[in-house]
Amino acid sequence: MTDRRDFIRNAFLALGGLSLPGALPRVSASQFAPRPGDLAPMRFIFIHKGNGLYPSFLVPPTFSKEEMDKEKRREAFTVDLTKHSLPDWMGPLEAHKDNLTLLQGLSGKMCTVGHHSWCSSLGVFKANERLSSIKWATVDFELAKLFPSPLEHIELACFPTGGGNARGGLDTIAMGFSARGAQQANYAFGSPRIAVDEIFKSVSSDAGGKVRYQLERKLLEFVGGNQAELAHRFDGIEHRKIGNYAQSIEDIRVRNRKVDEMADIVKQHAPKLDARYLADGMSTFDRQAGHVEVLLSSLISGLTNVVAFTIDELGHDYTGITGLEAEKVNMHDVGHGKSYGGVAADDIRKRCGEHHMTLVDRIVSRLKSVPEGSGTMFDNTMVFYFPDGGETHHAHGTEFPFVVLSGSNSRLNIAGQYIRLPYWGAENHKTLGNFYTTLLNAYGNPIKHYGSFDMALKHDQSGPIKQMFMHG
Amino acid sequence: MASKFLHAHWPRVLGAGALISVAAHAKPADFKVTDGIAVILEARCQSCHEDGTEKGDLRLDNLELLPLEARLDTLNRMQEQVYFQQMPPRDKRQPSADERETLLAWLANELGRHQASRLEDKLRYPDYGNAVDHERLFSGKIHAAASTPARRWLVSPQIFEQRVKDVFGLEGRERDIALYGVTNPFTLPEKSGVRYYDNDILSGGHLLQMMANAQWISQKQIRPARVKNGEIRADEFADARDRWSPRSTPAAFEEVILQKGMPAEKQLAAAIHTQFGLVLRREPDEAELGKYLDLTREAIQLGGNTEGLRQMLVAVLLESEFLYRLEFGSGNPDHHGRKMLSPREGAYAISYALGDRGPDAALLEAAASGKLDTREDYHREVTRLLDDKEYYKGSVDPAFTTSKVTSHITSHPRINRFFRDFFGYPMAVKIFKDTERSEGYYRNPDRGTLGTPGFLVDEADRIVDWHLQRDRDVFANLLTSDKFFVYHNRGNEEGAKIIREWREAYEHFKHTDWKNDPAGIVAANIEFIKARPSMRELDEQRPGLLMAYMLFFEDYFGKGRTPFTTVPWAHGYTFHHSTFYGLPPTPAIYRYGNWRSREAKEPEPMELWDYPAEQPFSIPNRMGILTHPAWLIAHSTNFHADPIRRGRWVREKLLAGRVPDIPITVDAQVPEHPHKTFRERVETVTQPESCWKCHYSMNPLGLSFEMYDDFGRYRMEEFLENPENLIKQGNGKTSFNQYKTLPVVTTGKLEGTGDPRLDGDVKDAIDMIGRIAKSDRVRQSIIRHAFRFYMGRNEVLSDSKALIDADRAYVQSGGSFRAVIVSLLTSDCFIYRTTKPTES
Repeated sequence: MTDRRDFIRNAFLALGGLSLPGALPRVSASQFAPRPGDLAPMRFIFIHKGNGLYPSFLVPPTFSKEEMDKEKRREAFTVDLTKHSLPDWMGPLEAHKDNLTLLQGLSGKMCTVGHHSWCSSLGVFKANERLSSIKWATVDFELAKLFPSPLEHIELACFPTGGGNARGGLDTIAMGFSARGAQQANYAFGSPRIAVDEIFKSVSSDAGGKVRYQLERKLLEFVGGNQAELAHRFDGIEHRKIGNYAQSIEDIRVRNRKVDEMADIVKQHAPKLDARYLADGMSTFDRQAGHVEVLLSSLISGLTNVVAFTIDELGHDYTGITGLEAEKVNMHDVGHGKSYGGVAADDIRKRCGEHHMTLVDRIVSRLKSVPEGSGTMFDNTMVFYFPDGGETHHAHGTEFPFVVLSGSNSRLNIAGQYIRLPYWGAENHKTLGNFYTTLLNAYGNPIKHYGSFDMALKHDQSGPIKQMFMHG
Repeated sequence: MASKFLHAHWPRVLGAGALISVAAHAKPADFKVTDGIAVILEARCQSCHEDGTEKGDLRLDNLELLPLEARLDTLNRMQEQVYFQQMPPRDKRQPSADERETLLAWLANELGRHQASRLEDKLRYPDYGNAVDHERLFSGKIHAAASTPARRWLVSPQIFEQRVKDVFGLEGRERDIALYGVTNPFTLPEKSGVRYYDNDILSGGHLLQMMANAQWISQKQIRPARVKNGEIRADEFADARDRWSPRSTPAAFEEVILQKGMPAEKQLAAAIHTQFGLVLRREPDEAELGKYLDLTREAIQLGGNTEGLRQMLVAVLLESEFLYRLEFGSGNPDHHGRKMLSPREGAYAISYALGDRGPDAALLEAAASGKLDTREDYHREVTRLLDDKEYYKGSVDPAFTTSKVTSHITSHPRINRFFRDFFGYPMAVKIFKDTERSEGYYRNPDRGTLGTPGFLVDEADRIVDWHLQRDRDVFANLLTSDKFFVYHNRGNEEGAKIIREWREAYEHFKHTDWKNDPAGIVAANIEFIKARPSMRELDEQRPGLLMAYMLFFEDYFGKGRTPFTTVPWAHGYTFHHSTFYGLPPTPAIYRYGNWRSREAKEPEPMELWDYPAEQPFSIPNRMGILTHPAWLIAHSTNFHADPIRRGRWVREKLLAGRVPDIPITVDAQVPEHPHKTFRERVETVTQPESCWKCHYSMNPLGLSFEMYDDFGRYRMEEFLENPENLIKQGNGKTSFNQYKTLPVVTTGKLEGTGDPRLDGDVKDAIDMIGRIAKSDRVRQSIIRHAFRFYMGRNEVLSDSKALIDADRAYVQSGGSFRAVIVSLLTSDCFIYRTTKPTES
């Protein structure tokens, strides 16, 4: 008897591969083995949300009148965050203010903005429902290439099931919001249970899981052997036409073997999820919390260094919101100001946001508890929390507020600061593309500019935000 | 053996030395510049490339002292420069043909000893299609026996889609389905020119995508049997959006699934045969059957019948053969060493040349019954399939179908796709524009729409198809016809009927009190209205519409104009692109109110397009596809017309010329200057000799297109879009920035037609296109591109006869592209393959 779960699990035979994309031809498994004297890799966690993020929500209430006025006029300024209180909904991050950056003023008008943005906010181009709109790998995948890992990249999502970008279900593996390369969508895990089953299948204790794992390995061995044998019969380009394919299969097998070799550590860190995070029909808040456990286990076990997490999307109907546990909250309605259960729309946003901050705190605190080198794992981590579609529900893309947490080995000099960059159209204005270029440059990709340009901006938009570099 | 192909096809290109295959571990002989070569280098090269001069950081007087890697790099640079005659510079004394040949042979030999020639590899790619000398190709002096190398050819994105549908055995309208769980792993490069070549190889990216596809396909293949077996409910779907299922599972699979216990070998073998037939379109051989039986048995032992069977299905789907077209030839080689395609290979080759589907039943029957063994057989089948208007019928490009536009449907979409590729106008959807610069008319592609360029590309598709259906002087007509389709969303007859009904309605109502009593007028005339289907949404519930209609009619009929046949208040109305053809605009959506209107508000007078319901129609200042806004936008930048890209296109696609790759050291930027036109700035920056040596072959051609801006609009003045020149600031919605202007200069120079009567100064693009269309070389250049499209490779000298035959067929048929196709698909290049790759 095979059921829906089986389908999804089986479907991941390939998707297990799909979460190791792009780098196949370039990265050999031996690169994952830690070498004496190696520095720990950097980890990047991208958490994005739908329905916009109001810039005003990020403004510390303890700003002086002068600072408040500058903020209202959207003038560029920088403030030491440690001397300020955070907005209430960001309270869970109070303990991490030294690591925190509230970054305002980045624009993303070159992205699809508004209701749905697909992989625009991670890729800095106008994405839509068509694969052909994917122009290049999203920034998370670009960073993953710089810090190779067995699975390279993991994407988790609370899928939209309504609106213009709906997936077929919450508990599924479906097209995600990151892109592996031009015209190559990535796939995301919709529920913690599916994610655990697939990411940690090599150490599964479930009998059915073990069988599927064996079948998967056997199939790859068979197909790989077949193709390798065929390739041997040719030379020149005809050999390459088959040999390259055979080698790609072999690359996956090598990676699988590497994951097998990591069995002890993977088993040690495999998430032991509470039943509520595995239940059918779990609330959105629980789904998000469960995903965070998977995210942490994946990073700590060393299976990946990059996680993208769609914490929600406009088409996701929220459940489990504090004080509204019995309600199914349509985020599109919230975007249009509708209240639920007597709770105003902005308060609903804040309650969701506060839950998100609780989870971010969980990520940061947990990583701070894992020793690495002479410090902790968080020293080598950056967390980004930001909207997928801009500053509000019907955004124009003039602002993409970012909440960033970075450890002490970060190569950006931004921690502990509230940074408002020049507003859209002003001199020295910066875009999402500039910010991602900064990240990529800082961590070893010398790209001149990452992302599309804003057609309406006349100044040179290319390059990193040099002031953010450690020695900027 | 791959080198044998080179020997047959590139004998004078790379020299005999390139043919020597040396194993990677073989120890090369010591390097030496022979006396003969030293003399040539000293006479032709060394004055600029020796100690003390070293132009381009290149020294040729110390080759023997360089370490191997550096020497090979230098030799590679030399080979490309000498081969493409980029060196010595044009103003220096040139080596004789013999000297060049000698030098090339020596370079090929030295590089060949290390299998290090970069040029040899490059010559297989589309950008190097024009590498073979045009005059020699069409000289009629090449009599070598032609063939195409035996090969695997990766399926195109379209063929892949059809192959998956074949796996499910879909027929008729069932084939229109978009398979939810299948992601096409193949894409073609986003550029002008023929894009589907046999060079591409399966990569890790393809594999990953195919692994996911194979899982989905196999699950669907067995789903009906699993339902029958009680494993899942008929209404049980893992993904609510993915509820499609084939009607049945193949009987052999079903038998295995329903079998209690381990199936018999016969049952397993039947299942394997079935999957091979569905996926690979052939039977497994004995060895394959044995291996697959072992796999299936082991998998069943591990995972049970259903899951074990599915592993086999997946394994076959992951065979590389599913993703390649195989063309190796069969039988004994002829005295030129060529083998004819096997009948089965020939059937697929013909069918994939004419469409995306595999052969139809008649073609398969011909192959099976010994009726695809001669050139005449090929001729018969090709002409039969060209006459068949149904088998390949479909959209030119389904990827361009959106909620707003249905990609044009025609009998042989792949033929149209040749011209799409050749001209490259579909690339317009990849160029994003600042809408304000178009006075708000331009819509960028966005969610669910391809915006303005989506409409323009479809309209270009339609005019291409119109010329193809007429099939007379196709090339010249495509280049010079002033006829276009614009907003032609209904047929000519239907359009005329709508206009006739609207005109009757206008005459009928214009003297009534429709402004003050629309409800009464509608009620009194409801039968009259119902008799006119074009006004069907007007009824007693929406009398306000009468006012909208009448304001609309007054704006048009009242002023002696004809309106577009879709009203601007229609739901989802998105027609705003007439201005890009240089035509007046059409009304904004709310110009006449809507059905809720209760007040007849006269719109502000404005110039509106007098719509021709019968199309195609003539548009002034336009001549052929190169003046179509889709082509002009595709060959523009985000902000500027792009004379360099436009000129390069003309040089390479029409004049069979070649422009070297841009040196990696060049950061090509056009400098800003507030008081100069874009042309002036381009001319300034490309003036230095190092730039001009390439730009001379592009700029004089491309600058003649300055009569069109980057939106494809005809212009006589160029806006100097710089803040210093702002005359009036607009709000970006109803008013737009106005800048000072300067007159555009549209003169250029045509060189390279091969006809001195045509070459010379041109006053603008239209003058240039008119001359170009008369050039034999241009006609032949298009034939060369058609050759690449149908053969999947670049032409070489031995293809000379096939090209000349195709050209002759075109001319003798009065310009029939169909004649070109028949000629190419019955040529030796199409029918014969040279040797099978080495079997070790």
